[in-house]
Amino acid sequence: MKLPIFSSYQFDSKFYDEIFTDNKEVREVYQTLFKLFSEYSVSDFASLNDKAKDAFFNQGITFQVYGDKETKEKIFPFDLFPRIIGNAEWLKLESGALQRSKALNLFLWDLYHDQKILKQNIVPRDLIASSANYLKEMEGFDPPGGIYNHVSGTDLIKHADGEYYVLEDNIRCPSGVSYVVGNREALKRTLFGVFNSYKSHNVSDYGQNLLEIIESVKPKGVDIPKCVVLTPGVYNSAYYEHSFLAKQMGVELVEGRDLFIENDFVYMKTIRGLQRIDVIYRRVDDEFIDPQVFNKDSVLGVPGLFKSYIKGKVSLVNAPGTGVADDKAIYTYMPQIIKYYLDEEPILNNVHTYHCSRPDELKYVLENIDKLVVKPVDESGGYGISIGNTLTKEEIEKVQKTIQENPRKYIAQPIMSLSTHATYIEDQNSFEPRHVDLRTFTLLGKDKDFVLKGGLTRVALRKGNLVVNSSQGGGSKDTWVLKK
Amino acid sequence: MLARVANNLFWMGRYIERSEHIARYLSVNYFSSLDAPNEASQSREFVLRSMLFVADEEELKEKKEFNESEILFDCGLNPEKPYSILSAIKNVQQNANGARDLISTELYESINTLNRTVKAYSAERFVKSGLFDFTTMIASNVASLRTKIRATLLHDEVYAIIMLGIYIERANQVIRIINSKYNDALLEKVNFGGSVRTSYEWITLLKCVETYDMMRRYYRKTPTSDTVLEFLILNPNCPRSIMNSLNSIHYYIGFLTNTENADKDSAAFLIGKLMCEYRYKTIDDFQEDLKGFIETLVDDLSLVGEKMGKDYFSLS
Repeated sequence: MKLPIFSSYQFDSKFYDEIFTDNKEVREVYQTLFKLFSEYSVSDFASLNDKAKDAFFNQGITFQVYGDKETKEKIFPFDLFPRIIGNAEWLKLESGALQRSKALNLFLWDLYHDQKILKQNIVPRDLIASSANYLKEMEGFDPPGGIYNHVSGTDLIKHADGEYYVLEDNIRCPSGVSYVVGNREALKRTLFGVFNSYKSHNVSDYGQNLLEIIESVKPKGVDIPKCVVLTPGVYNSAYYEHSFLAKQMGVELVEGRDLFIENDFVYMKTIRGLQRIDVIYRRVDDEFIDPQVFNKDSVLGVPGLFKSYIKGKVSLVNAPGTGVADDKAIYTYMPQIIKYYLDEEPILNNVHTYHCSRPDELKYVLENIDKLVVKPVDESGGYGISIGNTLTKEEIEKVQKTIQENPRKYIAQPIMSLSTHATYIEDQNSFEPRHVDLRTFTLLGKDKDFVLKGGLTRVALRKGNLVVNSSQGGGSKDTWVLKK
Repeated sequence: MLARVANNLFWMGRYIERSEHIARYLSVNYFSSLDAPNEASQSREFVLRSMLFVADEEELKEKKEFNESEILFDCGLNPEKPYSILSAIKNVQQNANGARDLISTELYESINTLNRTVKAYSAERFVKSGLFDFTTMIASNVASLRTKIRATLLHDEVYAIIMLGIYIERANQVIRIINSKYNDALLEKVNFGGSVRTSYEWITLLKCVETYDMMRRYYRKTPTSDTVLEFLILNPNCPRSIMNSLNSIHYYIGFLTNTENADKDSAAFLIGKLMCEYRYKTIDDFQEDLKGFIETLVDDLSLVGEKMGKDYFSLS
């Protein structure tokens, strides 16, 4: 018997569902798609799902998992039900993401120059002084074009109130954009029919825009800059993305060992000898880019690279030292930062945050752990997070103890309920609601900016799970931004 | 182009070529032995030895027992054996991965798909009944890779380096296959009498490199050792001949270095010199000492590979 695929969809009114209203009616933007999908049976979908997986393996959109015996090639799970964002909704996201990126850029300039915002006590000085990501070496340096965070990824969620909230700004080496394009490609291969009914923005112009942005911050005196992408190598889990970006931009993908520095100029070793490089879009973290200045044991970077940068011989994208501004503690000051530098109200909401470094707020946090998400300020990838309503009594006591040992290290936020979206669950062979978030990608260059019309919708595949990071078993969806 | 990536492209080309030669050698030898005119060529151990000789000479030296399924598995699908077709295709994929920003999406995807197909191929089926199916699949997929290389890449340095890998490997494989079949012909004579000159193995040799029909067309005579060797070594129009490979290597190295005034210690100079030497050789020059001739050629080719490494792929 052919089962319609939404027959066993379970609603949970505690969350905002992207597809269904509280009255179990399909929201307007999804109606056509829902009708198309309802014509499929469960078994049709199972076979489409296999096809989509093949599309990823064949495109080589994979990462390696190292086991005891053999190395396995894996794909990030991809869901066939796309996320749709209406035009009006998108315009707000786009302007809000751009506003944040610009404010963060001005904030970084200020931090590495006059530090006015600290002097006026709008952001507390000790927050910066105690940050491991503040690079003294960057003080007084003017990055080309005045840009620090050329590439920003903004993580957003939709709360039960139907409003978007920013959870995090990523301005070090945000990744995931290749999946935006890869997901679109995979969906087109498997469900090409659905594209006839929607006018969605294309996402394949990211590479061209990225190239223009990084060329715009070329070193002084260079006419046509030679740009490269710097990767840690084929074994890095984001290698696919690095090669994808190099290919989209038509530039060389290099590793640290391909580069060589002489008289502070950076060269790459080619089949015809050394060739000079002007701009490096580096996907290697600050700590590893130059063993002479940072981590001495790094073999991923290039000795002398930082000095070349400071002398203006080569441009680095993103600039070193941006990590100080996407710290979770700084995040809580974003409304003030936007107001201070741009004299604008924030377009996107920030989640209310309690600082454990403040005695009264620490007290509230310790008393209300069951209602809060507690996060370390300096970890990424979803590690070290505790979600209050999932903890046992013993676990709560443990969290209390950990926070008290080092209050500065923790912040807490109300448990935001991530919206849910219909997601195909392989084991169940049906669609079920799963929590999703959204990452948008913003580019800043000299006199130029760009927000990719689309984004990475990450989905937590385990039932009830709120952590969507791929390192925690998350998958992703194609994300359509509709044209007007 | 980066020296490191050039090295990846070179080896991608070599492994593409290698996988096809091994596949063809396994299949042609196995099937031609089934109804061979004499006992020697029909003997299973004789064929298995020959297969292993071409796949990995060193392995043959240590081998005591010749079990058909085991040797077929080792040469075809054993991931532990560096000489298996599976390992060759895996190396193609890994090298392509290291250079994936330089090659076309179409080529890269075809390589990935082939690698996945080979990895998923049932070993049991292969050793029992799948030899023909598997080797034909490899040959047709490699043909499709060649088409993608030719039709989707810019014919620039990237292309030239892949072609250099392909032709150096081709020359190497063809000379090894000649060597193997020459030894088979000798063995046949020692054990069962008859003449090396008119051995059945020469026909198998031509089929191993897919030149049997064209050789018949060219000479209009039953193949003998001298015509076969002349055709496979010296005929520049035979696409699998050593001469043809040398001409091609010389042509493609010209994309990287000006061959007219190349440094005398360079790969480009050496290949020019070799090509000219062979252009003026005749069958009489090596008929006397075929063994010595083969050894010299193998050494010369490996020297070209070494010098190319130094000239183009070195990171220091």
